[in-house]
Amino acid sequence: MDFLAYFGDVFTPINFGLLLIGTVGGLLLGATPGLSPTMAVALLIPFTFKLEPAQGLILLGAAYTSTVAGGAVSAILLKIPGAPANIATTLDGHTMAKKGQGARALQLSFLASAVGGVFGVFLLIFLTPVLAQWALAFGPSHLFWLAILGVTVIGTLDSSSVVKGLLSGCIGLWLATVGFDDIMGAQRFIFHDAVSGGINVIPALIGLFAIPQVIGMFANGRRSLDAEILTVEPHPISKAFGEVFSRLRALSIGTITGSIIGLIPGVGGQIAGLVAYDQSKKMSPERDKFGTGHSEGVIAAESANNAMVGPSLVPLLTLSIPGSPTAAVLLGGLLIHGIFPGSDLFDNHPDVAWTFINSMLIGQILMCIFGLYVAGLAARVAQVPNAVMAAVVLGLAVFGSYSVQHSMGDVYVMAALGTGMYFLERFGFSAAPLVLGLILGPIAEANFVQGSMIANATSSIGSYFFTGPLNLALIAIVVASIGYSVWLELRQRRHTAKDEAVAKKEAIS
Amino acid sequence: MTDLPRMQHIVASGLVAAVGVSVTYVSFTQEPAAAFLFPRIISTVFVVLALWTFGKALLGRTRVGNGLDLEAMINIAPGLVVSLIFVFWAAQSLGFYTASTIAFFVLLSLYDPAPHGELKSWIKRILITAGFLVVMYGLFAKLLSVFTPREIFF
Amino acid sequence: MKNLIASAATALTALAGGAMADDNYPERPIMLMVSYGAGGATDFQARIVTMTAGNEDALGMPIAIINKPGAGGRVGWNWFAGQAESDGYTLGAYNIPHFIAQSIEGGVSYSADSFEPIANWGADPAVFVVAADSEFNSMNDVVDYAAANPGKLTFSGAGLFVGHHIAALQLEKAAGVKLAYIPNNQGGAGAMKAVIAGEVLGGVNNLSDAFRAREAGNVKILGVFDLERNDFLPDVPTLMEQGFDIDNSSVNFRGVMVPKGTPQPIIDKLAEVVPTMFANGRVASKMKAGGSPMHIMTRDEVIEMWMAREAALKELLAGL
Repeated sequence: MDFLAYFGDVFTPINFGLLLIGTVGGLLLGATPGLSPTMAVALLIPFTFKLEPAQGLILLGAAYTSTVAGGAVSAILLKIPGAPANIATTLDGHTMAKKGQGARALQLSFLASAVGGVFGVFLLIFLTPVLAQWALAFGPSHLFWLAILGVTVIGTLDSSSVVKGLLSGCIGLWLATVGFDDIMGAQRFIFHDAVSGGINVIPALIGLFAIPQVIGMFANGRRSLDAEILTVEPHPISKAFGEVFSRLRALSIGTITGSIIGLIPGVGGQIAGLVAYDQSKKMSPERDKFGTGHSEGVIAAESANNAMVGPSLVPLLTLSIPGSPTAAVLLGGLLIHGIFPGSDLFDNHPDVAWTFINSMLIGQILMCIFGLYVAGLAARVAQVPNAVMAAVVLGLAVFGSYSVQHSMGDVYVMAALGTGMYFLERFGFSAAPLVLGLILGPIAEANFVQGSMIANATSSIGSYFFTGPLNLALIAIVVASIGYSVWLELRQRRHTAKDEAVAKKEAIS
Repeated sequence: MTDLPRMQHIVASGLVAAVGVSVTYVSFTQEPAAAFLFPRIISTVFVVLALWTFGKALLGRTRVGNGLDLEAMINIAPGLVVSLIFVFWAAQSLGFYTASTIAFFVLLSLYDPAPHGELKSWIKRILITAGFLVVMYGLFAKLLSVFTPREIFF
Repeated sequence: MKNLIASAATALTALAGGAMADDNYPERPIMLMVSYGAGGATDFQARIVTMTAGNEDALGMPIAIINKPGAGGRVGWNWFAGQAESDGYTLGAYNIPHFIAQSIEGGVSYSADSFEPIANWGADPAVFVVAADSEFNSMNDVVDYAAANPGKLTFSGAGLFVGHHIAALQLEKAAGVKLAYIPNNQGGAGAMKAVIAGEVLGGVNNLSDAFRAREAGNVKILGVFDLERNDFLPDVPTLMEQGFDIDNSSVNFRGVMVPKGTPQPIIDKLAEVVPTMFANGRVASKMKAGGSPMHIMTRDEVIEMWMAREAALKELLAGL
């Protein structure tokens, strides 16, 4: 119960002020396209130079939690996911916003984020030693199977056709191999200077999601559309509370999936949202409603991506190994004050460690309150006329992708992928599996290569990848996941066949 | 199913299949083999799925995706051309702020339903564009200190 | 006549412009490209050593860090050699021996001639680490195991043709054994995790990271790949002391450079100011707190060091 003893430290005027600045600033930074949580936290590092260690970490911890949630704002309102973590949120969240239910979507996402986030931080507080062992248990072979598990999700994710979903995923996996190969350094598929450094995920995300939407608005032409006459439904906060807690299945699937995946170094938050979305879709009796503005989709995705925040810091705080890029930046924030994470942190600087963790706990709640407060206002973005919206999103996409690496090549990649994606979407392909492929490709490949190098030196590839309880368990889940997709596809096919037959009969008679 | 969407599906899946075939060709002919192991596996699956989709499109059995109707294509064309000129040429040559302001104003004029004959609607467009410029400059140049290509102004 | 006036005017403006560019440089914030990800050792140190750039006695303008990670640094340096503007507002961080080794190995569009060094800020030797519960207690234990089990001693490092890999090659050559070097795609942090988790039997890693991991009680450090012991680890012997003929070729020197073609006056100004910026007391204390060894060198010293390294690496890599 050490953490209770240091609770008071969070509420000193300076600390609480920093917590507020971190939270509100984090939400704004997170909502800016192109600024991933990692970059937002890195941007804040210079400000911590002048602060006390604990104060600096309060700022960074609050900013980390709220940038992850802030990414949902642009995902819902503009269909630009702020980070890979928010991809799944666009699927149902943006659809809701287009229907005038932006306030509802934002409230659900903030509440679900807070529930997931608080749960994740509690895991960090109470189970850190156990979790640290669990985080270390994942070696190259396990991470490889985990990535394959992610790939199996591709087929059923947001696509009406399994084949086209898989094909979209393959395009993503291929795009991930463009550029220098991460281990050998060989050049692959560099057909233009812009991709010589590989395809950066953030600009790709912006392009794949935002640009098709811009072109879609062009397609409506000069008609004045529903946007102007759309009434943004006000949504009482109490109703949002009721809704989040009545969707317990999605909430718990999201929270648990997020915590478990967030813990695994190197895979982290990037895929937590998507996997949780897919799991709750598969387990929901209302799975057909997913993608049409269904509340379960938003709840699962957002509870997962904030639940991962706490556990993702476990390897850093206990073993001094940053498990995610953001954790690596936080490590820097600790090191400049001469504090080494690990046992040193909890033994010699408990005030810093626990104030940091507590600030993330309070930060989650502050973030939620602030988010709920502005949700109704922010949802009015949906009322912006189509023409203005298209131009604004285009501008944000260009500036956002440029600012990731100060690179014009990234802007070209963003625009090219986005334009291509618009046309592909018209023919049944979809962006979410493509992005998932883009994210998982390097994880699967690097771990496969490392695993087989270790295997060749010690035993054989067969025994390295196919024995051991964790490998077998993961393989079993992969097989189950594929089997379930096939079963769903077959069942759906039978249904459609029946429907078509019925329709034909009706047409004849 | 009418002929236009069917033709479109054939063209679209044909293009994807063409990409698949060339990717497969490249990955099986490039060296070092070790670095191309993973691309080879992916491209094989890629090409199989792409050819399957192409085959289905040829047979007219594609079930998802609505394709594009003529009206949508006509509506898209000017906006897409302006956007592509903006991204691939103007942003670098004129500077980000100049180019995005022009692009913003042109797109607004093209797609804003307000009548083109009225002075009032033009003033509104100019004001919105100016507001956009101020917000972008404040956010990216001042707050995040991103140094974008500037060429003419700022 | 008209033409003459026009050309004279052009010449004048060019002159004035040229002179102004030097006097007023820098007029706007400068960017420093780091070819490793945010939070890595190079990124972390780059952020510290540039934190006083905005001071009046330094450059008077802040330096912003831009990360271009990928393929052991190749992505960033390729961009820096080919696409970065040589106007003095685009600096790059170098890692020796990484980029020189990569340019010797081939497949990249840069070499030591593509860049102009400005100053060096740090030198981080590679060390050999094993998990805290490992049965190895000295480098001789490690080499004996490798001799008995050729090719079966797995050990991790940050990638191919980076400092860790050079150290690994030197160890193989000096001890005359065959080892299994496993490059990690997540840099030093990933390689360290592999050691602590027991995925590999040992690893080559940065001294600063290994020092921290030892403080946390996770690893033992068996040897330093340098000419002399390090101040942070006075109890750890060098490889030379343990009987292996290994010099400091793998020591990771970090510093600042600009692309070839940057105007000479700007290079001179940077070469004069940047080392004093590194020498700032606040920088030194933050670097020490983070466990990062500093080693400030001026432009002339760095040019010499680059040449020496290139010759040594060519010899080492020729045998491959």
